[in-house]
Amino acid sequence: MPDKTAAAPHDAHRPNVRLFAAVFGALLCLTLLTVAVSRLRLERPEAITVGLLIALIKGGLVAAVFMHLWGENTLVHRVLYTVAFFAAFLMTLPILDGHYFVHLLTNPAPVAAQHPDEGH
Amino acid sequence: MITTAMDNPDTHSGVSNAKLGVWLFLCSEIMLFATLFTSYIVLRTGASSWPWGWDALNVPLGTLNTAILISSSVTIVMAYARAYDKDVKGFRLWMGLTLLLSFAFLVVKGFEYHGEFAKGIWPSTSLFYACYFTLTGLHGIHILGGIVVNSSLLYMSFKKEHWDNPLFLGRVEGAGLYWHFVDIVWIFLFPALYLL
Repeated sequence: MPDKTAAAPHDAHRPNVRLFAAVFGALLCLTLLTVAVSRLRLERPEAITVGLLIALIKGGLVAAVFMHLWGENTLVHRVLYTVAFFAAFLMTLPILDGHYFVHLLTNPAPVAAQHPDEGH
Repeated sequence: MITTAMDNPDTHSGVSNAKLGVWLFLCSEIMLFATLFTSYIVLRTGASSWPWGWDALNVPLGTLNTAILISSSVTIVMAYARAYDKDVKGFRLWMGLTLLLSFAFLVVKGFEYHGEFAKGIWPSTSLFYACYFTLTGLHGIHILGGIVVNSSLLYMSFKKEHWDNPLFLGRVEGAGLYWHFVDIVWIFLFPALYLL
């Protein structure tokens, strides 16, 4: 039986070179922004929030444009959303440990040790 | 003629089996790195102290590697664009550039590792370095895997029969998806280890 499926899905993903160039520029700018923000020595929670936010934007751009997820098949989206949910759940499990969370809030020593010159 | 999912499963789902297979493989990779990131979060939040990346690692080299990997994501997507248009020379040029950037990434990483080993820093030095070497080492192995696949595609591009095969474009797209995934992993590794 001939393989009717090989070429069909690619038509929806005609490469857009201008868009690739724009995303490339944006990714480089965001990388420099991440490095610049880290030099500000923000408090750890703020630094992690900003760093994670920029990384999410960068990852989203690569996935949406370079990996053609923007306009990708619904089945691929469903599979990815399921995996993303479980991956996010796994990574938030340590925070769900209430006892440990209270320990973090009431024990600022680790932060002081991480940034010795911070707040002094 | 009535076709069923068994006759042509690809049109039933709307996505080719090969592409779905690549995505499922990437899903397993997402879970692999998610477990490692979870371990990193547990170890980091539980540690009595954790060094600042700027003090412990070579941030300029890490930034350079980020730029190299982002550039390679562009070159591989350009290789796909050339393959899409059946531009053989263009494909070879962009895929060759991708391979060059991949090796550049590993060389820079090698310099970084060499600098750390020279200072007597090993995975057993501290929890931070254990996380650093494990995460970047596994990522490096993925880069090597990508180099093998991309080299195979470059080699195949020199044989006309592959260009006549409609599956070739799908293979280039699959390799590209994998390479972009490796790029995304680094996009998260870089701030987590070097900057925060």
